[in-house]
Amino acid sequence: MRALSNHNASSIAGAVQAAARARAEGRIPAFSGGGTDLLQQVKDGTDPADVIINLRTVDEAREIEAGASGISIGGLATLTRLMDDAAVRARLPALAQAAESVGTPQIRNVATVAGNMTQRPWCWYYRNGFHCFKSGGDECFSVNGENGQHAIFGGGPSFIVHPSDIAPVLVAFEAIFQLAGPDGEREVPAAEFFVLPRVDPVKENVLGDAEMLARILVPSPAENTVSSYYKVMDRAAWTHAEIGVATVIQRDGNAVTDARVVLSGVAPIPWRLRAVEEFLAGRQITTEVAQEAGEMSISDAQPLAKNRHKLPMTSAAVERSIMELAAG
Amino acid sequence: MTQPTRIGLEPLETIGHDTARIDAVERVTGAAQYTRDFKLPGMVYARVLRSPHPHARILSIDVSAALALPGVLDVITNDTSPIVWGSGCVSGGRQYNDPIKDATIHRRHIFNNPVRCVGDSVAAVAATDRNIAEAALELIEVEYEELPFVLEPEAALAEDAPRIWPEGNMCPDSRNEFEPMTSRIGDVEAGFAEADRIFEQRYETGFVHNAQMEPRCALATWEGDKLTLYTPSQGISNCRHDTARDLGLQDHQVRIVAQYMGGGFGNKNQNQDADLIAAELSRRIGRPVMLEYTRRDDWLGVHGRWPTVQEYRVGVKNDGAVTAMQMRGYSGMGPYRKNSGGISGMDYYACPNRLREIYPVYTNRTTSGNFRAPSDPHGVYGVESIMDDIAYEMGIDPVDFALRNMRRPTEEAQFTNYSLEEVITTGAEQFDWQARRRVQPGSDEGPLKRGAGFSFMMFRAGLGTSSAVVRVDSQGRYTLYVGVTDIGPGAKTTMGMIAAEALGVPLEQVEVVWGDTDRTPYSVGESGSRTTIMTGYAVVQAAENLKRQIADRGMPSGGDVLIGTATPVPSTDGLIRQCFAAHFVEVEVDMRMGTTRVLKYTAVHESGRIINPTTARDQIRGAAIQGIGQALHEDLLYDPRNGQPLSPGYYRGRHLTHQDIPDIDVTFIETDDGYGPFGAKTAGESGIILAPAAVANAVANATGTRMRSLPITRDKLLREVSA
Repeated sequence: MRALSNHNASSIAGAVQAAARARAEGRIPAFSGGGTDLLQQVKDGTDPADVIINLRTVDEAREIEAGASGISIGGLATLTRLMDDAAVRARLPALAQAAESVGTPQIRNVATVAGNMTQRPWCWYYRNGFHCFKSGGDECFSVNGENGQHAIFGGGPSFIVHPSDIAPVLVAFEAIFQLAGPDGEREVPAAEFFVLPRVDPVKENVLGDAEMLARILVPSPAENTVSSYYKVMDRAAWTHAEIGVATVIQRDGNAVTDARVVLSGVAPIPWRLRAVEEFLAGRQITTEVAQEAGEMSISDAQPLAKNRHKLPMTSAAVERSIMELAAG
Repeated sequence: MTQPTRIGLEPLETIGHDTARIDAVERVTGAAQYTRDFKLPGMVYARVLRSPHPHARILSIDVSAALALPGVLDVITNDTSPIVWGSGCVSGGRQYNDPIKDATIHRRHIFNNPVRCVGDSVAAVAATDRNIAEAALELIEVEYEELPFVLEPEAALAEDAPRIWPEGNMCPDSRNEFEPMTSRIGDVEAGFAEADRIFEQRYETGFVHNAQMEPRCALATWEGDKLTLYTPSQGISNCRHDTARDLGLQDHQVRIVAQYMGGGFGNKNQNQDADLIAAELSRRIGRPVMLEYTRRDDWLGVHGRWPTVQEYRVGVKNDGAVTAMQMRGYSGMGPYRKNSGGISGMDYYACPNRLREIYPVYTNRTTSGNFRAPSDPHGVYGVESIMDDIAYEMGIDPVDFALRNMRRPTEEAQFTNYSLEEVITTGAEQFDWQARRRVQPGSDEGPLKRGAGFSFMMFRAGLGTSSAVVRVDSQGRYTLYVGVTDIGPGAKTTMGMIAAEALGVPLEQVEVVWGDTDRTPYSVGESGSRTTIMTGYAVVQAAENLKRQIADRGMPSGGDVLIGTATPVPSTDGLIRQCFAAHFVEVEVDMRMGTTRVLKYTAVHESGRIINPTTARDQIRGAAIQGIGQALHEDLLYDPRNGQPLSPGYYRGRHLTHQDIPDIDVTFIETDDGYGPFGAKTAGESGIILAPAAVANAVANATGTRMRSLPITRDKLLREVSA
């Protein structure tokens, strides 16, 4: 019988020290922000954690602070807090939209920003207890199985898709992630926080064993920047993105001077479409340009047997996302 | 929510008025006791160990480590408790038939060896608390010899398919013979010879779980040789009888208590293995035992609607007359036959030449069984898909095609009343069918395409026997005793309203005693849309009996009471009694995303006289919502290589959320055919039957592409439209 213990942390530093101590004792710690998913995973046995580091007792890293240089978002801010924050809504509308699209109100009221970005994949093999890469095995069962919801970009050896809605937005805004560990803090650009399975087949990010995502710094977007998060789900609420498009465009009149287009739900990490971004830069947004961007977005796609439908969806989502931004 | 439109009858004194449930306050304040709310002195908790394999022989089970865990009181397996669960597998799926249960060759036990699906029960633990019981499950060592498995019904019938039962994978009929369910009318070959055109198509429908909020649970306690079971059963009388049979007891030795429950939708008919497991553990350890299923237990260890394959062949004359209908169907029953595996819908047509052959087949998926109108929604989807295609192919409005070909009363087969034409024409008008349907399917410009579909049905509203007792005291207080329970429709309130009407007193003057076999007489059970008609009719007759006594003897005085009883055996005098409905749906399909949105939904029902319009409307709406889920979302995916279920539960099932649900306009055409309680017919199941067909037809009308497989998910839709 697995003995499960709970540690109520009182600070970020205390939380990572507790995690390091648990590691040193040969146990497996897990940080619990809202715990909405983690605790169920522990119950289901799909997460092997046996020390829950409870972060709900931590007072810091909950605030969202807007300054001249940007917005600082505590890793323990709830998604409700994030979507309701006036500065976020005004300056980073895509981020508010993404937060608002997550789960249900009940989930958003306790789920945290850090937890949303470090949640484990929702692949049905992993979640049903298959001994796959994500649970320490050496096979991705989706490859020859039911892969309708799996990756069309960046797959191999695991073909999970990254489930976070806010992660691609933060990659698009080129946020900086502050990580706290037992040896101190470090900063990592959002895009470098997430790692492909070919780099690490088990984990989805660079966090060390006792390290946590403490804070996110989003630099102030340049003048004339617009952003949106376009999400397609299998029902209106309480499910993950079949595809999400985070689009951040800096404009001069109707001409794009700079663009970021990052996808969720189609790759093991937030998937940046650099070719599309380069294509858009310097162009006026027209129906034809948006359409070409959409077509271009799937040029590197490598679908599996049952997820080909994600190709036309991706094209359409990118095209619509750009057109809606241009219209707005 | 808008109130239903009502056409036909004026309300009576109590019946026909929107009435809040008489137990609404208990429900919303939490005073209502659901099974898991009961706590008895000394009560302990039980959990079930389930098979991780789709098909395996158990070579050994070592429970010693589990038994050694402090707090564990007992571990039972097939070795300790070889109890046959009679309604868990019945030849012919004849679930309410004792002699056939006795003769059934494929006996299901509460713990089986071999195990025949992922989720088949292997052992159960009782412990002083839930955590210990769960921990003990992990300490049970089971040695399995994995066996080959088969998931799909057609593959299961192949010569070389793995055998799930010794005789093979065809389910035996009620005579233990391995024949398809065959229904033959006229001469189908002659009918095809007469046809100008012949259409053929194949359809598939997925497994859908009942998905009621409350998973199965049971609390068992014994006093001497009498068992009391608190259990969410859709039929306390059946549950008592089944449980007594399975445990070798007399009916009076079993008491079933079931009042409030978190939905059933057919998932809770009769008794369940949970009842027997809790009873067996309680008997062995001498303490009350509460067994609670998890959501996953419920999804994989109980049952849902059977997946089907349906192959149709239909012959039509150039004038639109259908001359022949043929269907060969396969129903995947899982490893145990709990129900028939029926596929209905062809019977709504008058076509004189019909042949239907259905093969109910064992597979190593989870068990199939009752689900609100068990044989109907998937069958109507198949029939109405091909009929809709034929109508458009021949340039006929599908509504006209239905009116032309549907079943109508004949000299030989007359109805108590017949409203099929009226529900269709009323629905077409209310929905504005002509404006919403695309004469040329798929003709909308652009990626967002709209279209409309419809379907129609008739469904049994037969009479039958239940009992009721009504008592009056000297204060003029009436107490009604009925063996009903409430799976959602509000049976307690309905029965009270019928009694009040029949007695001629206000509803407030009637107290309803319900949901307890020791306190109430036989009731047919909340299945087959029977409670309102059958138990309701017994209530009317008991009230009449009491009124006659009052007329003869006057009201009781002092401590005296008068008691009226009735166990009527009503008949329809050789007439067919049906309820009727037509549903019209408008959808918008995003051709680039494969997303289908229901924009408008119109449901017109003739269910006789409506007792309580509020709850009747909600029955239709709730059922339509389930049907939309079956049409567009729900399935239980299995990995073909290892036989593991991948999508159990609400998250994976993509059940509709409140944000997905369209406005559903309900109209009742009310009639009183002179049968049943004040002319009431059925409403509980009928609402689900038409949604999958109407939605699928609307998708076909919008897209110009026929989706031949339910659910119509975006991957299938995008595959079809890009092909």
